[in-house]
Amino acid sequence: MDMESQLKLQAFLDGELPESEAREVANLVARDKEAAALLAELRNTRQALAGFETVLPLPESREVFWSKVQREIERQEARQPAEAHRPSLLAQWRRFIISAGAIAAVILVALIGVGPLGSGPSSTEAESAMADPGAFTYRDYSAQATLVWLSYPAENEIADGDTPDTLQ
Amino acid sequence: MGAFEELVARHRDKLYARAFSMMRNEEEAIDLSQEAWVKGWQRLSQFQGESSFGTWMTRIVINLCLDQLRKQKRQRSESIEAMEEESGGVERQMPVITVNPTAGLERTELRQRIDKALSQLSHEHRTVIVLHEFEEMEYKEIAKTMGCSIGTVMSRLFYARRKMAALLVDLKKQE
Repeated sequence: MDMESQLKLQAFLDGELPESEAREVANLVARDKEAAALLAELRNTRQALAGFETVLPLPESREVFWSKVQREIERQEARQPAEAHRPSLLAQWRRFIISAGAIAAVILVALIGVGPLGSGPSSTEAESAMADPGAFTYRDYSAQATLVWLSYPAENEIADGDTPDTLQ
Repeated sequence: MGAFEELVARHRDKLYARAFSMMRNEEEAIDLSQEAWVKGWQRLSQFQGESSFGTWMTRIVINLCLDQLRKQKRQRSESIEAMEEESGGVERQMPVITVNPTAGLERTELRQRIDKALSQLSHEHRTVIVLHEFEEMEYKEIAKTMGCSIGTVMSRLFYARRKMAALLVDLKKQE
C-alpha cells in the first residue's frame, strides 16, 4: 500500500474524508487485508489515547502561583505607560522636519539680509520670512543685528497631540 | 483582579498539564503556564466567548509552547535521527501490529503506559497527538496552529500513531 493510501486510511478513521472518498476507502478496507489490519492498528491506538491523558496538578500552591502571575502582570503594566509616553515615530519625524525648517529659515533670512545691510539703510524692520510663516524676523540695521523668532509648538505639545502608535 | 485570580485557580492545573504534555519539563511547563495567564489577562478584552474560557486559555498556552519548541529546535543541531523522526524513519517499514497492546489494562496502568510512550516521541509527533487526540482539533486547525500544511499534519499524525503502537507493544513485552 502506498503512502497516499495509508494517509487516506487514517483520514477515513478520523472522519476527515469527503463522502465519495470515504466510500472508496471503505471498499478498499473490505477487500484488502493489509488495509484492514492497518486501520485496526490505527483505531486501537486512537482508542487507547482517548481520555487517557495524564492530568498532573501544578506543583505550586494556589497562593504562590497567583502571586507570581500577579507580580508579572503588575510589572508589565508598570512598564507599558512608560513605553506609551515615548514619542511616536511620527512625532519624531515632525520634530526633525520643524528643526530643519527653522534652520533653513534662518539661513534664508540671513541671505536676504545681506542685500539691505550692504546698501546701508539705518531704519529697523520687522518681517515674516516668505519661506516659513512660523519665523518672524526683527532687523536693526544701525546695530547690524538680526533676531529671528520661531513660533513653533513645543515638543511636548506635539507629542501630546499625537496618538501613540507603539502602545499595545 | 479578584475574579481573574479565581479563574486562574480554577484552570491552572489544566493549563499546566497541557504545557507539560508538550514540553515534558516541569520548570518550563510552570513558566509557560504562568506566561499564558499574564497574556490571558492582557488580552481579556479579546475573549469573545466563542469557546469556553478554559479552551481559550489552553490555545494561548499551546501557542506559547509551540513558540518555545521552535526556539529550541532552531538551537538544536539537526541530527540524522531527528530527520528520520520527521519523515517517519523506521515506522515507514514497521509491520502492522495486529494485537491490541492496551487490551485488558487497568485505567491507571494504561494511563502510565501512554504517558511513558508519549514521552519517547519527538516534539513534533507528540504535539500532533496532543492536539488531535486530547484537544480534539481537526487537521486544518492543527495545521494552522503548528504553521504547517495539512499534508504534514497527516503524515506526522500517522507516524506518531504508528510509533505509539510500537512503544505500547514494547511496554507490554516488558511486563
